[in-house]
Amino acid sequence: MKLNRREFLALTGKTAVGAVIFAACGLPERELIVQSPVDLPEDLVRGEDAWYATSMGDFSNGDGVLVRVMEGRAKKIEGNPDHPITRGKATARYDAVLQLLYHPDRISSPQLRYSKAGNLSNISWDQAEALFTEALNDANGALTVVTNPLRGHLGSVASKFAAQYNGKHMAFDPVEQGVLHGAVKSVLGQDQLPTFDISNAQTVLSFGADWLGTWGSPTQFGVKYGEFREQHDRGYMIHAEPRMSLTAAAADLWLAPVPGTEGHLALGIASVIIDAGLVSASNVAAFEAAIPGGVSNVSLSDVAARTGVDAERITKAAKHFAEHTPSVAFGGGSAGAHTNGSFNLGAIYALNILVGAVDSKGGVTSNPGSAIDDIPATATGASFEAWEQEIANWRAGNVETVIIRGADIVHGMPNSVAIREALGNVPNVIAFGAIHDDTMDFADLILPEETFLESWGTEIPEPGPGYQVVGTQQPVVGPTISRDESGLTSDARGFGDTLLAMSDGSYGRDMESLVRGALSDLHSTGRGSVSASTSSLFTNGALQRGGWWDTNNNGSSSVGKIATSAQSANYSETGSLGEGNDFHLVPFLSNSLLDGRLAAAPWAQQTPDPISSASWSTWGEINSIQADELGIKEGDVLLIRSTSGEIEVLAYPHPGVRPGVIGIPMGQGHLRSGRYAEERGSNVLSILVDEKDSQTGALAWAATRVRIQRAGKRVKVPKFEGDVVARPVEPGVPVLVVGIGETASDVQTANHHLYQEQFLGEGKESGDHE
Amino acid sequence: MTTAEFGTHNWGMVVDVDKCIGCNACVIACQAENNIPINTQDRVERARSISWIRVERYWEGDFPDAKARFIPIMCQHCENAPCEPVCPVYATYHNSEGLNVQVYNRCVGTRYCANGCPYIVRFFNYWEPVWPESLRNHLNPDVTVRSRGIMEKCSFCVHRIRRESRNARSAGVEIADGAVQTACSSACPTSALNFGNFNDPDSKVSKMKDDKRHYTLLDQFGTDPNVIYLAKIDADKKISAGEAATHG
Repeated sequence: MKLNRREFLALTGKTAVGAVIFAACGLPERELIVQSPVDLPEDLVRGEDAWYATSMGDFSNGDGVLVRVMEGRAKKIEGNPDHPITRGKATARYDAVLQLLYHPDRISSPQLRYSKAGNLSNISWDQAEALFTEALNDANGALTVVTNPLRGHLGSVASKFAAQYNGKHMAFDPVEQGVLHGAVKSVLGQDQLPTFDISNAQTVLSFGADWLGTWGSPTQFGVKYGEFREQHDRGYMIHAEPRMSLTAAAADLWLAPVPGTEGHLALGIASVIIDAGLVSASNVAAFEAAIPGGVSNVSLSDVAARTGVDAERITKAAKHFAEHTPSVAFGGGSAGAHTNGSFNLGAIYALNILVGAVDSKGGVTSNPGSAIDDIPATATGASFEAWEQEIANWRAGNVETVIIRGADIVHGMPNSVAIREALGNVPNVIAFGAIHDDTMDFADLILPEETFLESWGTEIPEPGPGYQVVGTQQPVVGPTISRDESGLTSDARGFGDTLLAMSDGSYGRDMESLVRGALSDLHSTGRGSVSASTSSLFTNGALQRGGWWDTNNNGSSSVGKIATSAQSANYSETGSLGEGNDFHLVPFLSNSLLDGRLAAAPWAQQTPDPISSASWSTWGEINSIQADELGIKEGDVLLIRSTSGEIEVLAYPHPGVRPGVIGIPMGQGHLRSGRYAEERGSNVLSILVDEKDSQTGALAWAATRVRIQRAGKRVKVPKFEGDVVARPVEPGVPVLVVGIGETASDVQTANHHLYQEQFLGEGKESGDHE
Repeated sequence: MTTAEFGTHNWGMVVDVDKCIGCNACVIACQAENNIPINTQDRVERARSISWIRVERYWEGDFPDAKARFIPIMCQHCENAPCEPVCPVYATYHNSEGLNVQVYNRCVGTRYCANGCPYIVRFFNYWEPVWPESLRNHLNPDVTVRSRGIMEKCSFCVHRIRRESRNARSAGVEIADGAVQTACSSACPTSALNFGNFNDPDSKVSKMKDDKRHYTLLDQFGTDPNVIYLAKIDADKKISAGEAATHG
């Protein structure tokens, strides 16, 4: 049943005011809108806005948002204040999605490529469906459905669809999280990623994961970080990462280990704690039970030598972590992207056992399973090892039909797998998407896909908040009509709806009915944040609120043992790469483009990187002192060469990088992706080598060593830095910094005197010269 | 209950620099809310980009002790604004609610105000703003698109203030603390940006501005900004209060 706002309000007024009861705070007036904007006359009233609650789809890990709609057009995306993940807050990426919805290069209709090397021609949906059906029949089981990692109903539909046709569903994530999931499973016994009680921790110790920028659930973590800093003694944050990320910049203590030695750093910290007797004997016993071999053979001096972090810093971090509790330790990102990634992350997560942080306030707490049967609450990409096997099958002609959605595999796969050649050997490649991407160059059939702002779904946030959450996704705008009213800008359909239309109907008719059915099932449980007398009212209430959650349904951990795996990291060879200097390559997710999925949006392109302030380009961050030694200046075009290929980047030296490391953002280097992204920058993913985590087979995307060489030209780095002259608070003091308990006035006075002393001192010297 | 009236508010912002992580969520939220033109690569390279709020990043120290410091900067809505008296056509003036207001259709583009502003937060439209036709769908109808030849800057999302004022007036209530949020403060994940009424002693911003870490940018110019900053805390910094006392 569809209700518009007027009908809904009338209904609730007539039947029972308050028949729908929301737990926690009151319902903001602006959310009193139920779905179905296409039919809502309110959307067409000039000057009146409507706010719809939905979920962020592919562009977050389940963030709940509110979308402002006026006259049928989406205008703004903000965090949903009621949603347990976002709590009304946002990232720099939310609004950029609007530009994908209204992108001038959206695919307007289904397109067919008549031969592998041919051009694309527009066709009707009827023709497309006929071809789709033919491809499914031709496959006869030799079918692979490729998506990004999907939770909620869309993931379930993709898997069931593949199974119905005796095919397989594989998820692709260029920065795959399989190592992380494996470590969490082995150490904490959890299938879902746990949550971190940063708000109540006194010390946060993190490794590799840019959790305030791009890792996990940055909005959730950002809100918690604000609360962490609001505590009476402000909390203390330690972050280990070879390159200064946004998260490292926020830390009180930054440790910059040699890439791949994060696990040893964790054991070094543990050995200091144990040697100094800073934790109970029972905690030590539990920790040593989780670590094969314990830390009896770990010496601080060895760890310092191996990690490149001096013993004094390690000791300081260890003492803070053990003495200022509750503490929490977690890691991911580049720390797990090595051949010894499983060991690294296992050792890091085991630190929680040492300080008694498992399932405790201010520590690491588990998330429960899905509240809906058969709906995945966790998702990760298939391992790189599995992908290599799959692509070998494609290359061998063993797969007849590949359906691809939400995964630009041509852009995301390293050169070493030769994905282009493999796709060329698949007879039927069907690609869904809103904007033409690199993978679609190899597609035989392209189907325009609705964005998450136009389609139905559910989303289970990962990591969750520590209790069950089912976020809802609903169409907040209808199809966009071109401004000259000549027709739709994109005759798109939902991926889930298209699959369901091709299915036998045994697992659903369409996404809307699946979502409504799931909400009806939740209603029958009689628990959670929405109470209503009828299923229909419950559904409308959940949609208004952006989902359903049950704060009383929590998970629990089962402390285990990290699986024995290689402890030392291997890196790729550079011996045959010609002239240049050897560096560890540390790729990182762009703060605005992520892995490139937002590259088509000009707002995402123009957003200054937090550290370099660069935009619209690909740059390489190297240590400024080392750059001086090598004669590298900002804007020098650098050739970055690995055994897998070569790219060009612009040099950006700064002091926040470990010498010997070059950090390069992902997200650029698309041949396609619309007018704002095409042939812009370089794709660092293409030059990754095929090193893998020894235990999970995941791509060790931070294990590539490269040789860098100046290309002999220099260009201006498009960056914000230097656009305006710094306006210091005091001469030489652009940002006022106080110590704990110190007042701004004290520091301003001290700075003023210091400046006067320096100024007078210089004047005296000058006088001496005269 | 009283009806909200103009003049009862003194809108202002408190920026807790200690919480700012430099994520730029505020920058893009502002861009979307206020119909700011796309800062193309060409404009960025020519230092002609428009950003009503920016996050400046400064380096301190060298590896391994390097620290990146962030500070968001927007129009400071000064009570003694240097930009106001220099405008020959009264396109910029101070209203009764603490806002430094820019009247676009009065502006003739002399750029005197930009020269007078010590915070460099006023932006001149060197070009007509251009969006591809389809991207015009996301423009905010509450906010004027500025044409070539005029100045623009942060308005403290005055259209949001007006909307809440109208709502409060029609409901016969006062504007509740926190009801008006600028686009930037609404987006800020860590709550480093806080917006509210300094005239209300019980408002969040009024309480925050009395924090001992408070200061204003370029205090020596006497501009009396309505943006108050709370200093960044460095937990490992040696306390200089004693030194200051001896110098004093």
